[in-house]
Amino acid sequence: MATLREEFTKGLWRTIPPFRLVLGLCPTLAVTTSGINGLGMGLATTFVLVFSNLFVSLLRRFIPSQVRIASFIVIIASFVVIVELVMQAYFYPLFKILGIFIPLIVVNCIILGRAEAFASKNGPVMSLADGLGIGLGFTISLSVLGLIREFLGAGTLLNISVLWEGFEPFAFMLKPPGAFVALGILLGFMNLISQIQARKGGGR
Amino acid sequence: MRDILRMIVVLTIIGAVSGLALAAMSRLTAGPIEYQTIKFVKEPAVKKVLTGYDNDPILDRKRLELGTDSQGRPVELTVFPAKKGDEIFAVAVEGTGKGFHGQIGVMVGVSKEGKILDIGITSHSETPGIGSRVTETSYTDRYRGLPAKKGVTVDAVSGATYSSKGVVAAVNEAAELVEKFKKEIF
Repeated sequence: MATLREEFTKGLWRTIPPFRLVLGLCPTLAVTTSGINGLGMGLATTFVLVFSNLFVSLLRRFIPSQVRIASFIVIIASFVVIVELVMQAYFYPLFKILGIFIPLIVVNCIILGRAEAFASKNGPVMSLADGLGIGLGFTISLSVLGLIREFLGAGTLLNISVLWEGFEPFAFMLKPPGAFVALGILLGFMNLISQIQARKGGGR
Repeated sequence: MRDILRMIVVLTIIGAVSGLALAAMSRLTAGPIEYQTIKFVKEPAVKKVLTGYDNDPILDRKRLELGTDSQGRPVELTVFPAKKGDEIFAVAVEGTGKGFHGQIGVMVGVSKEGKILDIGITSHSETPGIGSRVTETSYTDRYRGLPAKKGVTVDAVSGATYSSKGVVAAVNEAAELVEKFKKEIF
């Protein structure tokens, strides 16, 4: 039985969603045109993930296994609508930018994946830790990816211009192919770090 | 049999509880959402056509009942008042007119004396580069200072006659409404 800490930290590196699980790529590639967009999308997903994990875990003994997927989807969809309403009411510009990708959180494989693979088999506290870990991992990934693309594609960081005047941004990085390139390079670096770690750890 | 019953009951309960929660949430956020939508969609136009106020025209917006349309639905007019001290000295009202591609929404600022202060296009789907020239200040400035009543006319943008006509129609609609409901507005 893994400890609470392990369940939380695994989402931050060992199974960090878009890189290690390679799940939830649709929002990862689509909305990470700036750091703020990535952060907003990540936090919205984290909220849904944490609460759907909690409720799925609490209800896991009442839900008959034949209709579990339908029940999970109803629970997830409810929290997605809550996020959508709150964003529209208090973060309208971000809501406009993320647009269709907020309702699409429902079909994010990470969320249903965690509900099915983890929350439906573990207690509420463990599920909370798992949801929070994976969610934060997703948020960090999206923010980093967004910052890299924003820096190269627009020459800004969090909407503040950081490069010299006359810098010609690689507009390519803000287009969909740029997302693949950035994701691939990041994934490559992560594998490199893992390899070095493994070598140090005795060639596991 | 028991299994089927259990499935039905559990799914029904989950669905009903979610539905209730979402209905409550929707009610809670209805006010802020309306404010945000107006703020981000209409505020730029309101700011353009009104100047020198010290209130928040979006927050102070007023709804006037204009009666009912042909299908019996109530027609409402939203008025954005500009106040100095506590006195309304001008209002912004939105009118719509048919352009080359669908409706053109125009925010019209009208002073208490019945003069058009300025107009701003809130929404349109005119041809970019041709019909869209009616959104430029070189065109919208032509309305400044005209009397705000029925029959406002200005020269059209050449090559964009339909779009210009749409804007004229929208301005006339708004001006007429302000003139008609002057007592209720000011």
